[in-house]
Amino acid sequence: MVIDFSPLFGQQTPLDRIFEAFWSPSMAISQRPYAYPPVNISETPDAITVRCELPGMDISEIDLTLTESSLAIKGERKSAKGKYYRQERPTGAFQRVVNVSAPIDREKVAARMKDGLLEITLPKSEASKPRKISIDIA
Amino acid sequence: MSENQRNEERGLPRVKPATDIVETEDGFYIYMDMPGVSKEALVIDLNEDEIKVSGRTAYPASEAEEKLIHVEFGNGEYYRGFTLSHIVDKHRINAVLKNGVLELHLPKAEKAQPRKIEIQMG
Repeated sequence: MVIDFSPLFGQQTPLDRIFEAFWSPSMAISQRPYAYPPVNISETPDAITVRCELPGMDISEIDLTLTESSLAIKGERKSAKGKYYRQERPTGAFQRVVNVSAPIDREKVAARMKDGLLEITLPKSEASKPRKISIDIA
Repeated sequence: MSENQRNEERGLPRVKPATDIVETEDGFYIYMDMPGVSKEALVIDLNEDEIKVSGRTAYPASEAEEKLIHVEFGNGEYYRGFTLSHIVDKHRINAVLKNGVLELHLPKAEKAQPRKIEIQMG
């Protein structure tokens, strides 16, 4: 899986991925066909949480940009100096953009990092929460 | 070791952590990406010439009301073994886990000092 042909042949479906995983059991973690860094997104009624595996990065080296409709995670992984016998860890600049559809309370956005896991909490703004409206029937 | 091999007891997928091996003047460095592994969950075994590293990720379980929208990674068990060369000083191996990266420093053993043999004239 050094050369990824998939973009030429249309979208990769989840079934293709399963098939590919069976087809190449020796596929290393650094060569998996996902974008870097891997992202998990979850939602509660109050907030959207984006979790991201970023080993070896300090929170001060990560650039987070929140726009109207997206959250961009940017940074650069540097490599150590020396003679490399094996290199599997990805290096260089990376960027991942997560689409955010709900209005976010910008003041309360929080990001923290532990053991190489970045967690960004995007609290939904009050206006976007569903409200119960009682209708009086005349 | 097959990467997709399942760990029977916990049902966690076993993965080989992405690894760099670098040689510098003061020895060898092994860097392994092990995001989500805490210091307590990391096991390094040194047996004769073999060094085995394993660790389980401990991502917080999602709350009941939390709905997963998009998932690209999850809990797993990292496992990888290496055979050490005889030029490594096994007693001075040093391990540091920082920000989810394990750094193993394998210093080179002191070389046997070259000895000069004086030849006496008889």
